[in-house]
Amino acid sequence: MANKKKNNYVSKDKLGNNLISKKQIVKNNEAKEIKDNKKENKEIREKNTSLKNIILSIKNASYRYSDALKDDYALRNVSFDFESGKMYAIRGRSGTGKTTLLSLISGLERCTEGEIIFDGKSLKDMNLDKYRNSDIGIVFQSYNLLPFMTASENIILSMDVNGLKIKNKRDKAIELMKKVGLKEAYANRKVLRLSGGEQQRVAIARSLSYNPKMIIADEPTGNLDKQTEMEILEIFKKLAHEENKCVIIVTHSQNVCGSVDVIYDLKKVKEEGKK
Amino acid sequence: MFILKNAWISIKRNKGRNILIGIIILIIACACTITLAIKNTAVDLIDSYKSAYDKEVTITFDRANMMKNFDPSQAEGRENAKEKFNNIASYTIDDVNSFADSEYIESYYYTYSVGLNGNNIEKAQIETNNNMPNGFGHGKENNMTSTDFTLTGYSSLDAMSEFINGTYTMSEIIDNAWDKAFDGNYVFINEELADYNNLSLNDKIKLESDDGKTYEFTIIGIFKENEDGSLEQPMSMFSNSANTLVTNASAVLNITTNNKDINPTIYPTFIIDSYDNVQKLQDEFYEKGLDENFILQTNEELALSGVSSIQNINSFATTFFFLTLIIGGVVLLVINMINIRERKYEIGVLRTIGISKFKLTMQFVSELVIVSVVALILGAGIGAVSSKGVSNSLLESEINSSNERSEEIGKNFGGANMNGGIPDRGNKGDVRGKGMPVVQAYDSINAVVDIKVLLELLGIGITLVLISSVASMVSIQRFSPLTILKERS
Repeated sequence: MANKKKNNYVSKDKLGNNLISKKQIVKNNEAKEIKDNKKENKEIREKNTSLKNIILSIKNASYRYSDALKDDYALRNVSFDFESGKMYAIRGRSGTGKTTLLSLISGLERCTEGEIIFDGKSLKDMNLDKYRNSDIGIVFQSYNLLPFMTASENIILSMDVNGLKIKNKRDKAIELMKKVGLKEAYANRKVLRLSGGEQQRVAIARSLSYNPKMIIADEPTGNLDKQTEMEILEIFKKLAHEENKCVIIVTHSQNVCGSVDVIYDLKKVKEEGKK
Repeated sequence: MFILKNAWISIKRNKGRNILIGIIILIIACACTITLAIKNTAVDLIDSYKSAYDKEVTITFDRANMMKNFDPSQAEGRENAKEKFNNIASYTIDDVNSFADSEYIESYYYTYSVGLNGNNIEKAQIETNNNMPNGFGHGKENNMTSTDFTLTGYSSLDAMSEFINGTYTMSEIIDNAWDKAFDGNYVFINEELADYNNLSLNDKIKLESDDGKTYEFTIIGIFKENEDGSLEQPMSMFSNSANTLVTNASAVLNITTNNKDINPTIYPTFIIDSYDNVQKLQDEFYEKGLDENFILQTNEELALSGVSSIQNINSFATTFFFLTLIIGGVVLLVINMINIRERKYEIGVLRTIGISKFKLTMQFVSELVIVSVVALILGAGIGAVSSKGVSNSLLESEINSSNERSEEIGKNFGGANMNGGIPDRGNKGDVRGKGMPVVQAYDSINAVVDIKVLLELLGIGITLVLISSVASMVSIQRFSPLTILKERS
């Protein structure tokens, strides 16, 4: 039953590609068919493994602001698992604690109760600064770039904070910019002279600068038009599916929800309490 | 390394604010350099001035203590005071020698004075008041006013010559006077007395005690009072020392040994190692038998009178120094608090991308350090160039102010040339005291910026940076990056 489930997942996810591959096999020689099948099998094996590859696990996490009343939780008893190679959406109405959950996942706040496990370690036991500059990349709705720096300087700063030791950081920054669809000419441009979509690409490039295992995005397309939104989502998809990163997006957007692999719904704490 | 790089980028980005901070630190540095240069030079000058003169301690009668319970309106009170006064135990040469045996005393000498009448000379005296006190002698002066002359014997030749040369001008002296001065009955007399009695060098004078015994002395030197000295007794034609004869202590001792009725006065002077030990020395003297109605008095005030203007400048410099630091520190703190509020977003972003609080604090401190170092160097340079001029200008104004006060006092008390309590009057001023050479007052100060000043300035710079960094340190610890970014959004 378990195998069937896994195969279903794979066939659903890769169905189109499989059919195309089989057509090509028919057209081409037998040896090529065997080789492709082997490759296909390898991919399936990897996908099966990824199912067990939980990178982040939220266990009964609750959060209450320090000045709040005893039972006034912004987030209560939330438990989610996140796997590498998948793209997630955390959805919910205003006041359900989406941003709070994001701040807990990104180590900007600590859980009041419960815990968050990243790559087998509890965030409680980790240096959260190190966690933020090595293990995860954060992308915000309002980009949060330093306006007095150029696009490349913003990306290089992130490398510096990480302590990345490579010879030419600028080349690496340009490479990352190209990866997210930005021209090299933008490298020396102050970020305020870039459009919203371009700034968000710079923010994504910055979050990738030290090759983190997980990307956390808070309404990354909230300030962008539909076309740009789709382009940005495409970048996130590639990061998840091609680079095996775990991408978590906090969003209201239906477009975003339609593009992700898994959607988690957050409900208001009071509603949860009624259940 | 990236902390410094970021700090440099921030400095370039916020030119206006950093220039303002730089100017404030430059002013502070400049002011501190000047004040420190003045302060250090003044302290050195005062120390060297002090060390140039003997630290003298004398025994003096504690009038304040004596008069504490004295009610002059009551006849009984007057009698009690008189009895008390007569019962004060005086001290002898043996006591003085015993007092001098102390770890705080480097050397000592004493004058030993007796009152005698003239036999073949007359007292220099044309005045309305015959009971004016004699200028010499301390302690119990009974019998001193009833005689014509005071014969003062010095226990040390150095003290004697220093006294005469320091306080008077030698107008005539025999060739080997200083060799003879301690060799028998030889005296130095006042020029006024010599003129009055038509005396000259090598003349012999005779003095007699109340019981009729005569003592013969040969004149080996004639000294004259310096100009200002005549003001000591305004009602007399003659100076205080007109009827004083200076000889050696042995000569006086011979007189007192042979005549028990003569009551001599001993006036010891102890040269001590430090003014700080005076209280300990006084306690030691009391233990050795000094009557508690006597106290020890130093020449510190007199020794420092030549540098009183410099001391005033030093006090001014010290006050100005602390005021500059306090005001400057507060202004810098406020500017940095504003700076932090303006850069809240930057702090939020940097914290979000994982820079630690410590590194972020270091970045802000580095920015301030870079600006401060540049400003301190410039300030120290400007201060070094201007310190001499500023200090001398201050000193000149202080001297002028002192002179004006001095003249005012002189006018009020009827003597325009009075030195009063302000003896240093530029190059012209001098201070004289018993046994002290002429003291030259300072009219310029060479306030130089040396390594000591630079090190102190460095310390001030670090303190200022730390004070003004407090705002950023506290804010970075308190700020929640998420809250900052939410506010921004």
